[in-house]
This record gives sequence, C-alpha cells and structure tokens, in this order.
Amino acid sequence: MTKVPMARPSSRRAFLKGGLAGAAAVAASAGAARAGGETVITEVQDWARYPGDGVDARPYGRPSPFEAHVVRKNVPWLTSDTISSVNFTPLHELDGIITPNGLCFERHHAGIAELDPAAYRLMVHGLVEKPLVFTLADLKRFPRENRIYFLECAANSGMEWRGAQLNGCQFTHGMVHCVMYTGVRLRHILEEAGVRPDGKWLLAEGADASAMTRSIPMEKALDDCMVAFAMNGEALRPEQGYPARLVVPGWEGNMWVKWLRRLEVGDQPWHHREETSKYTDLLASGKARRFTWVMDVKSVITSPSPQAPIRHGKGRMVLTGLAWSGNGRIERVDVSLDGGRNWKTARIDGPSLPMALHRFYYEFDWDGSDLYLQSRAIDEKGLVQPTKDQLRAARGPNSIYHNNGIQTWHVDKEGVVENVEIS
Amino acid sequence: MSKYPEVLVAAALGLLAATSSAGAQDAAAGEKVFARCKACHAVGEGAANRVGPHLNGVVGRAAGAIEGYKYSPAMTEKAGEGLVWDEPSLTRYLENPRGFLKGTKMAFAGLKKPQEIADIIAYLATFAEDGSQKAAQADPAGDDGGRDAAGAAETDTAEAAGEAEEEPSQAGADAAPRADEPTASSVASGSDGLKFGLGREATDDEVAAWDIDIRPDGKGLPEGRGTVGEGMIVYDQQCASCHGDFGEAIGRWPVLAGGQGTLRDERPEKTIGSYWPYLSTVYDYVRRAMPFGDARSLSDDEVYALTAYLLYLNDIVGDEEFELSRENFTSIDLPNEQNFIDDDRASEAHYADRSEPCMSDCKEGAPEITMHAAVLDVTPEDSDEKESRGGGID
Ligand code: HEC
Ligand code: HEC
Repeated sequence: MTKVPMARPSSRRAFLKGGLAGAAAVAASAGAARAGGETVITEVQDWARYPGDGVDARPYGRPSPFEAHVVRKNVPWLTSDTISSVNFTPLHELDGIITPNGLCFERHHAGIAELDPAAYRLMVHGLVEKPLVFTLADLKRFPRENRIYFLECAANSGMEWRGAQLNGCQFTHGMVHCVMYTGVRLRHILEEAGVRPDGKWLLAEGADASAMTRSIPMEKALDDCMVAFAMNGEALRPEQGYPARLVVPGWEGNMWVKWLRRLEVGDQPWHHREETSKYTDLLASGKARRFTWVMDVKSVITSPSPQAPIRHGKGRMVLTGLAWSGNGRIERVDVSLDGGRNWKTARIDGPSLPMALHRFYYEFDWDGSDLYLQSRAIDEKGLVQPTKDQLRAARGPNSIYHNNGIQTWHVDKEGVVENVEIS
Repeated sequence: MSKYPEVLVAAALGLLAATSSAGAQDAAAGEKVFARCKACHAVGEGAANRVGPHLNGVVGRAAGAIEGYKYSPAMTEKAGEGLVWDEPSLTRYLENPRGFLKGTKMAFAGLKKPQEIADIIAYLATFAEDGSQKAAQADPAGDDGGRDAAGAAETDTAEAAGEAEEEPSQAGADAAPRADEPTASSVASGSDGLKFGLGREATDDEVAAWDIDIRPDGKGLPEGRGTVGEGMIVYDQQCASCHGDFGEAIGRWPVLAGGQGTLRDERPEKTIGSYWPYLSTVYDYVRRAMPFGDARSLSDDEVYALTAYLLYLNDIVGDEEFELSRENFTSIDLPNEQNFIDDDRASEAHYADRSEPCMSDCKEGAPEITMHAAVLDVTPEDSDEKESRGGGID
C-alpha cells in the first residue's frame, strides 16, 4: 500500500496539533516532487489496478468514506434531551446553494415522527365552505411546482447575542438549509375547501407528539406557501416531515410545520406556545415583539471558518460563503479582510433566486498576515445586513431570535480561524 | 426481546428470593410510584419505548439491552461491563441516576424514599419480558393480587386509548368513505365550483378528534373543571420530575414559574407568570404536548386542574380551593399581556437608513479582538455540561 503524503486532518483539534508538521510536509513534498515524484503518481494505486464494487453494491449511494466527517452535529449542553433539540448543517463543508437531504439541520420538539404515508391525512376545516380530508395521493393530484427556498430557524445564531460563543459556522449559522421542494400550492388546497370571507388566519398543525402549531396570516397562505412532499427530487426525509410539510418561503423555519396534518381557517390568530413563549423577541425595554415572521438579510463566510482553517499557507486562496434574505433575492455581497475598514464586492455564482441561498466567492492572494474576515449582504429591497453591535443597540442582548449580524472570523498567521468580536 | 435471556432468568430468580425474604415490598404501592416514571417509560402488554426504554422484564434484565432504543454512551458502556438490573443496582440507580451512572440521559432526580424504591422494584418485577403479569408469585404481600390485576387493566386501557388517539386517521378511514377513491359525492361537489374535485368531506367526528386548539377568547375550550389542589396531585406525579416541584425546573428542562419582574434584567426568566400573554396557551399546550413522552394522555379536567395549579405556582391565584373551568377561564388575565408589540424591525436605525453602505476607510484604527468564542471546541465528545453564556436555541 502506498501512503498519501499529506493526510487530511479530520478535526480542528487534529489540525491544531498537526498544523506545523503539516506545513513542513507541504514544503517537503514540493521538494521531493522535483527529485523522484509523488508516489501517488509514480506508483500504480490499488484503485487503478483492482476493480471496485459493482452496481447494486450501494443501491442507495452514500458519500465517500473520506467524507464521513461531514455530518450534522448538535451541541449537547444546549438542551436536556435530543428528543426536543436541534443539530446543525455542516455549512463549512458544503458548496453551491443546495443542501444535501441528509445534511439539512434537524429541529424536533418530540423526536422524528415515523408516519405511514398510507395513514397520512390532511384536514382542512374551520371557516371554510366544506371541511375536507386529503390523502397523500389526493395532494399529488393538484398541479405541482418546484421551488428552491432556504429554511432558517429564527434562533439561528441565537447563541451569539452576548458575544462570540461557538467556534464554527456549523454551530453559529448551521440552522439553515436550502433545497428544491416539489409540492402544490397551499392556495389550491384552501380554495378546494372554499375559504370564507372572514377567514383571515390559518392554523397549521403537525402530526408528531408535539402537535406543533403556528398561526399564519391568510395573505401569506394564499400567496406563495406550498405543501411539499419532495425535496431535491426524492420524498421528504422523515426528519423534514415525511410525507408532507408546509413551505412558508422567507419566513422563520418554525412555521414550516412538518408532518402537516391539519389546517384550520379562523378569524384571529391563536397565540399558541410557539408564537408567545417562543419565537417572540424580548427587547431591552421589557416589551417583546411577536409575529416577527420574515428572516432578515444575512450572510456568513463558510470557508475559511473555524472548522475550515487555511491549510495551504500563503498565496492564492478562495474565500466563499452564503447569503440569503426573506425579502427576496440577494443583490450584492461585500467582503472585508480587515474587520470592516474596507470592503470589496464578492462574486455571486450560481442561480440567484428569491428567498434561496446565494453562493459567493472572493479570490485573493493571502500574504500570511492576520485577517479579520466579514461579509455583508444587501438584498433586493436595499436592506443591508447590520452589525451585531447595531442589533444589540436596538434590541439588547436577550432577543434570542433573528440575529442576522455580521460575523467576524479571525485568521491568524498559521491559518487557524476563530470566532471573535472586534472593535 | 432481551439479548440475554439466560441472564434474565437467573437474575429474576435471584430477585424473587430476595423479595420473599424481605417481604416488605408492596407492588401495589409501587404502581403508584410508577406514575413518576410514566412520562418516560411504559410497562405492560404492548409497551413501547418512549423517552426511556420500555421496562418489561427490567428486573433481571441486562442494562442497555433493548434493541432499537438509543441509550446514552454512558449506559452502553456500563452494559458492556455486564451491568444487570437487580435489586441492588436498581436501588442505586433510582436513588440517584446521575450519581450512579454519570452521563445517563435519564433526566430524573431520583426517588428519595427507600420504601418507594423497594415498592417500584417489586412492581416492575411483576412484569415478564413480554409485558404479561406474573402477579401471583411476585406479589409478596399476597393479598393484593386483585388490586394488581385491576391496576394492570387500567394501564392497558390507557395505553390502548393513547394509541387510538395517535391514529385517528386510520380509525376514521374505516368509518368514513375511503379518501383515495373519490366518491360520487366528492365528484359531484367538484361541479359545485370546487376547482379540482379532490379530497372528501371531513366527518364531524373526525374534525372533533383533531380540532383541539384553544384561543385567547376561549374558543375551543372543552367542558370541564379542576382545582389548584387537584392540579397539584397530577403535577407532582406527572410533571415535577422534569419541571421541578415548584416549576423551577430540574436541569435544563423548561422553567414554568417565577421570574416576575425580570424581563428587563441581564438574565430575564421567561415563564407563564412573567412572560406568557394568555392563559389559553397554557391549556392548549399542556393538552397537546405534555407530559413530554406521553402527549394527549391527560383528561380535560386534569388539564383544567394543572392550569389552575400553574396559576397558583405563579402567584396569580392564591387560593388552593380555586377552581378553573370553562365558565371562568377567560376572566383570568396574565400579567404580561400588554407587553407584546407587533413587528417593527423596519423602524430600527440600521434598516430605516437606506444610504449606500461605506466601502472604504469605514472605521478608525486597526481591529482589536474584544471577545473570543467562549466555547473553543463544541464537538460532542468534550462538551459535557458546559455553561452557555449566550442565549438558548429557543
Ligand atoms: C424524564 C424521563 C425519565 C423518567 C421520569 C424516568 N426515566 Fe428511567 N430512563 C430514562 C431514559 C432516557 C433512560 C435511558 C438511560 C440511558 O440510556 O442512559 C432510562 C433508563 C432507565 C432504566 C434502565 C433501562 C435499561 O434497559 O437499561 C431503568 C431501570 C429506569 N430508567 C427506571 C426508571 C424508573 C423506575 C423511573 C421512575 C421512578 C424512571 N426510570 C423515570 C428516562 C426517564
Ligand atoms: C419528561 C420531562 C417532562 C415532563 C414529565 C413534563 N414536561 Fe413539560 N416540557 C418538557 C419539555 C422538554 C418541554 C419543551 C418541549 C419543546 O421543546 O417543545 C416542556 C414544555 C412545557 C411547557 C412550556 C414551557 C415553555 O416555557 O414554553 C409547559 C407549560 C409544560 N411543559 C407543562 C408540563 C406539565 C403540566 C406537565 C405534566 C402534565 C409536564 N409539562 C410534564 C418536559 C417535560
């Protein structure tokens, strides 16, 4: 067996320990290349000699074993039990704008409900002409649509209100994902039952043991909401509400009720637990905002970031990140290398769709000095991503939700990255 | 079900010998103690895993042995060391779960009275591995067989009712027209102006089975009543193990009481009494989702009683005789109702100012780090019980 000269450290800790040795290995292998050459080239590798698995060995394909570290992770001390908890999308390992189904962050209030699609029913009742029950097969007979949207938990970055807290963009920003949904317009389903003129609000309820409920204004329900049964081309994952969930584009993730079983039309909001005790934003004055549905304009640099340090030393490098806004498209993303003193406009690449993630890149030559990386998104409504200090000045430190402040990553001379706050 | 049948038989015999010699354990009394485990554990015929594994045949069972249940790494490790649940080990675990097994995910404070521990073990020992009762031999008191059987029957019906509730759609499908084949009537209604002619009409019983929501104006409240005193009994049995005797919470489970006057503090405590705007939310939420691990198991009267008790724990009513009912429900206001405002983010200075953002020389001086990430390594393996200084996830 041959050895790959520079094995990739699998964790940040391993990197910290092996950082210097790794840099030395780079230099050595560059020197060695001039003499004899890398064995991965000069020797025939196993995979180039022996055939691998045939078809059907992996009927549902999985990522390469070398990618086994790319998984969702939780922060166990945040919650008392994984049944009502959250884990985070590994943003630092992903590229493009689509999140793979198995990596979309999870937030459950009573664990993953395992629903038999044959036993799935969606009920529409309340202020309607005729209360109706739909099977999954019925839902699929409405005209279908495909839409790419981000879904962000309103508590994403919520741990960072008081200052830098968690060291990794998976943990500071990983309660967001973006997939292509296939589903039907909520409007069609509601019109099938016939919404009465006094029907101004909709209560959506899930079938899991938390029976999650949220009140949604009818205007939004009839505008762009969907009932989705597929993500990225395949059936929804159980963690994401199989067999059907609500899609509420641009609005906080908690409203996208999973395992959707019931839609009640009413003339007032319900003020349920998830819109009173939770998902209300306490201000310094002691007042609390409620019904803060829209997810604000936001961005983060995903690499480099604490879990994705610079391993290649100085010279040419690619900085990349994500930007999104519940108000529509992202117009522009600016990047600063010096902690917000000077800004350069980054390059958005890939589709630019309303209420979807946008991928940006900024390429430059790193001179090996300290970097204070920041990104700032501007959306199509002209709203500019604020700083964390601006948000704290306006709201105090106890709002929990809707923290879209500008993130700072400090890169030291070794390429190690840390979550910091700066002057 | 158990991976270690032989261990089980041997240990069960050992236990029976122990119980008959001690002679003081009372399985019937143990059944009452079990109310404190019920939120997380099931026992009896058809018992399934809940928050914790099912406890059929647990006395004599190897620890961490229920296949398909995801134990904590700590429990798995202990299981690997060959821990078997017998009277001594159960006694120590139930007395102080985290003391006995550091890292166990059983979020239970422990049973303080030795008698209660002896009784619960006697009660659990009456259940065979398949959930059937072996009451005759295992009931040392001997004269309680009848009570035991009745108790078991009760547990079974509760279980069955719970299950029926979880799958109303299937029950409904039997009685109602099949939804996946549009009936003549739904096709006809298609021509009544419905666009696609999909779905079928919901029956009144179906709507009633699922329509459990309550609004601040009282819409949705069921018939019923319950007092503070009655609520305390249910609370102590079914809620206190997580939320604490006074709603102060055990560990990281949610706090339910206190915190009045703290909303402008450095560390506000948001509870029903200090934060929630409407009482209807308490009734609605407890009925739909609590106790955690056994949702929809409370009667409407129990939920009235619990709601009354939560008002009492929050000093909103002071009288233990106070009775909450559908009739007087909307007369009660929570103190913080007036402090909720609509979304006015757009008026914040940074959003209201629509000028072009600065591109160069935007700030004086070189950046200086004012704060480092508090938690340097958040990977699961080394983050046990660290204190967060930031906000929570929700
Ligand atoms: C708050 C939820 C909760 C409560 C209340 C609770 N348990 Fe547990 N229990 C658990 C969990 C979770 C586990 C799994 C522990 C682990 O994996 O570390 C467990 C494990 C156990 C085990 C070990 C089972 C096995 O197969 O290894 C026993 C025995 C047990 N509990 C008994 C009890 C008894 C008796 C009570 C009541 C006096 C009780 N528990 C109350 C959650 C709970
Ligand atoms: C096994 C532990 C456990 C038990 C037992 C339990 N709860 Fe809870 N309770 C929870 C958890 C966990 C949550 C939060 C759930 C979530 O995240 O959605 C919660 C939330 C609540 C809330 C909302 C708190 C808030 O601030 O939003 C109330 C009210 C409540 N429980 C009441 C009760 C009552 C009443 C009982 C007894 C009938 C009970 N609980 C039993 C674990 C428990």
